[in-house]
Amino acid sequence: MAVLVDEKVREEQELQQKRSSELKQEIHDALDNTTLARTLGNFCKTYPGRRLKSYEGIDFEGNREKIKEVKSYAADHVDEMIEKFTTNCEKRGGHVFHAHSTEEGMEFIRQLVKEKGVKTIVKSKSMASEELKFNHVLGDDGVLVQETDLGEFIIALEGNTPVHMVMPALHLNKEQVADLFTEYTKVENKPIISEEVKTARKVMREKFITADMGVSGANVAVAETGTVFTMTNEGNGRMVGTLPKIHLYIFGIEKFVDKFEDARYIFKSLPRNGTCQRITSYISMYTGANEVVLDKETDEKGPKDFYCVILDDPGRRAILAEPEFRQMYECIRCGACLDVCPAFALVGGHVFGSNVYTGGIGTMLTHFLVSDERAEQIQNICLQCGRCKEVCAAGLQIPEMIMKLREKSAEEHPNNIKKFALDAVSDRKLFHSMLRIASVAQAPFTKGQPFIRHLPMFLSGLTEGRSFPNIAKVPFRDIFPTMIQKVPEVKGNIAMFGGCLLDFVYTDLAQDVILDLNSIGYKVDFPMDQACCGCPASNMGDVENARKEAEINIEAMHAEDYDYIVSACPSCTHQIRQYPTFFEEGTEMHKRAVTLAEKTFDFAKLFVMLGGLADEGDGKELKVTYHDSCHLKRSLGVFQEQRDLLSHTKGVEIVEMQDSDQCCGFGGSYSVLYPEISAPILANKIENIKETCADCVAVDCPGCMMQIRGGLDARDIPMEVKHTATIIAEKRGLR
Amino acid sequence: MSMITDELYECFKTNLEAVGGSCVRSSKAELGKTVANLFKGIDIADACLVESPLFAEAGVKAAMEAAGIETHTDHIRLHGETDKGGISEAQYGIAELGTLVQVSDNIDARIAAIMPEYYIGVVKGSAIVPEYDEMFFKLAQLPEIPGFMGFITGPSRTADIECVSTIGVHGPLKLTAIVVDDE
Ligand code: SF4
Ligand code: SF4
Repeated sequence: MAVLVDEKVREEQELQQKRSSELKQEIHDALDNTTLARTLGNFCKTYPGRRLKSYEGIDFEGNREKIKEVKSYAADHVDEMIEKFTTNCEKRGGHVFHAHSTEEGMEFIRQLVKEKGVKTIVKSKSMASEELKFNHVLGDDGVLVQETDLGEFIIALEGNTPVHMVMPALHLNKEQVADLFTEYTKVENKPIISEEVKTARKVMREKFITADMGVSGANVAVAETGTVFTMTNEGNGRMVGTLPKIHLYIFGIEKFVDKFEDARYIFKSLPRNGTCQRITSYISMYTGANEVVLDKETDEKGPKDFYCVILDDPGRRAILAEPEFRQMYECIRCGACLDVCPAFALVGGHVFGSNVYTGGIGTMLTHFLVSDERAEQIQNICLQCGRCKEVCAAGLQIPEMIMKLREKSAEEHPNNIKKFALDAVSDRKLFHSMLRIASVAQAPFTKGQPFIRHLPMFLSGLTEGRSFPNIAKVPFRDIFPTMIQKVPEVKGNIAMFGGCLLDFVYTDLAQDVILDLNSIGYKVDFPMDQACCGCPASNMGDVENARKEAEINIEAMHAEDYDYIVSACPSCTHQIRQYPTFFEEGTEMHKRAVTLAEKTFDFAKLFVMLGGLADEGDGKELKVTYHDSCHLKRSLGVFQEQRDLLSHTKGVEIVEMQDSDQCCGFGGSYSVLYPEISAPILANKIENIKETCADCVAVDCPGCMMQIRGGLDARDIPMEVKHTATIIAEKRGLR
Repeated sequence: MSMITDELYECFKTNLEAVGGSCVRSSKAELGKTVANLFKGIDIADACLVESPLFAEAGVKAAMEAAGIETHTDHIRLHGETDKGGISEAQYGIAELGTLVQVSDNIDARIAAIMPEYYIGVVKGSAIVPEYDEMFFKLAQLPEIPGFMGFITGPSRTADIECVSTIGVHGPLKLTAIVVDDE
């Protein structure tokens, strides 16, 4: 038995390793694709500004609430939506088929196509049809299926899958498109975009005119009226719905809203988030068997053959059944989450995605609707930076859901190598002694040395384009007892949670935090039994170890005895705030977790809260640019306090860098798993920093500090990187 | 029905121009001439016209024919394949977006607006609403939603190759809205 289990574990490991190295290859290929880098890079760079402009005068937050409201209503009443839509569409002469699986849906369509003698089909964009493998199945039956969306047409010629949900052919340049067109049309096509667009018009025009059937995807389906909506820019959606005598809609149950006017919220955000347009060229609404010309020679008109296939497969039901993922129903497929994603900007959707859905939300959609295996690979690409959440049209908790996916797969297929490292982290003694050994023998931290494998992931990140910091010779836990805290009038007591980087690498920073707090009347304690916060374990989906670490820290920090807990690492703060979710409500542990979570603050926030904002400082000029940590800005909502602290410090001048809240690529364990992606993200950050010509980069996260210092160092840029707490300590002469 | 204010017209025009369309204003009496001039201005020799009470009253077809434009009012599906121009009346407009709104199941109106390379959409000034939301409410309150309704905002466009915005794909390459002053 034991042998069998071992065998299985080994096989599993081998398979995972194989997949992971395949994914690495995909990453390299994507990074080598210069067209992708240029177009996607440009697009993603200009996107945030263009998007904001398109929202002028629009209450984005308010609209997002409305989208959530109308879509969650539909989710809660999904059976009623299907029934109402069916009744109303049929009342108007349409036919509705309720497909309980992709196979059932496709079989219905095959029969319909056969029965009606359909030979050629023109199709506008439909992601649901990709799930049915529509083109493939009907192609095998000898039916000609023509993609009419320009991007879809191009990738169909290439035999590829979409690289982006909204812009499927971003990875190809005009020269490649010209070659594909030349091959297809058998006449030479020049690599001039406007000419290529003309070719597409010409080629497709013929197909539109002669096609027997048009196929559309819906952006929205209204239950109350039986109306389906399609939004396009090219006009292909219109042609598909105007010329052929048979018109087939394919859409999933997630497209429903109840009332006609509910749709207006969606079309307010969809074009703005999708393509930074206030509205697209066309929005078409079809209700039942609308009019068509039956015979162009006699000009005879009549109702068209109008069909709707509603996809209600087990994957979609599984989304609705899982409380943590149910919100996916509210996604309007605008693609904004891809456009702001630093990982997506680098590798695109062929890597960060599956053959149908791409990016962060695409990872979840892939898991439920396309391929669980593929999702398991790509879920690790997410940096957990949280940018996607900010722009999401429906306010989806994308990073949190990705984390849940990781947890799910960690439970189902524990990867023993990863787990070994995490077990070590959660074994406080083992971990701490490992780090001590490491500090004595720095050599093992060199890449390729055997020891590195056994180090916690987030510390083993010696990668290209970044130097690794030295482990402190004396850890902070040994320095702390020697510190003398001079606080004449004690206003309160604070316990410091150090986290691994403060304890073992940046011990000076830990001292600065204490000096700063002393200066405003607070004494600081450093509970010795504290361990790793558990963030690396959580990041890898290892709930078991994360919970173990939470327990150790709840016990160690003993929050009941202090007024506040201070942390100088936002990832630790964020993690500690999550502790209550690890325990069942009503239990003692839960109660204590809540106490700890409620008392824990990040340095800048707490320092300002306790009256630390003051016009002090040595007055010596220091030009500072500030980098926002993903966790601090987006998870904890702190971005103003640090800036206030710095700008009130005499001598400090703040110069904002471009995209100050764009991830630095550290992402916890991330830079180790995917240095290929992390390195260019860092390079971008360094560029933005360089442009400010500042003397110093201020940060509030030791992870960012490590990453950015390493990046500057590797490029020989003599700029300092300092934590806000250190700048205050130095400028106020507290050291 | 009240007349469109200059301000609302300017708003409609500005927004339509911002997406690559053009916009002119005309009295009912001048409508035929305006249409004919627009078509002639870019050498359009044949066009599909979808009749409406407004067009009939203003004599649009006659004016086009007088200007030598071959004008088709039937077999539009067939002529749409070759005619370079298309003209129909839109039921509403949205000023804040420069959008023409079709609220009619008439298939000819849909064909004339999508197949030819140059489309002229005519809308009564009094039928232009300031805002998108208002338009949606109007549509939602219709006693029955027609088989087809559609928004058209500027000519067709794409950015599918290298993210370069290019005008004119499967729909019109050019689009003009004529706002007709109500009398
Ligand atoms: S959290 Fe960051 S890396 Fe992850 S999907 Fe969202 S934007 Fe991308
Ligand atoms: S998750 Fe949000 S941002 Fe991403 S496609 Fe869906 S609605 Fe748009």
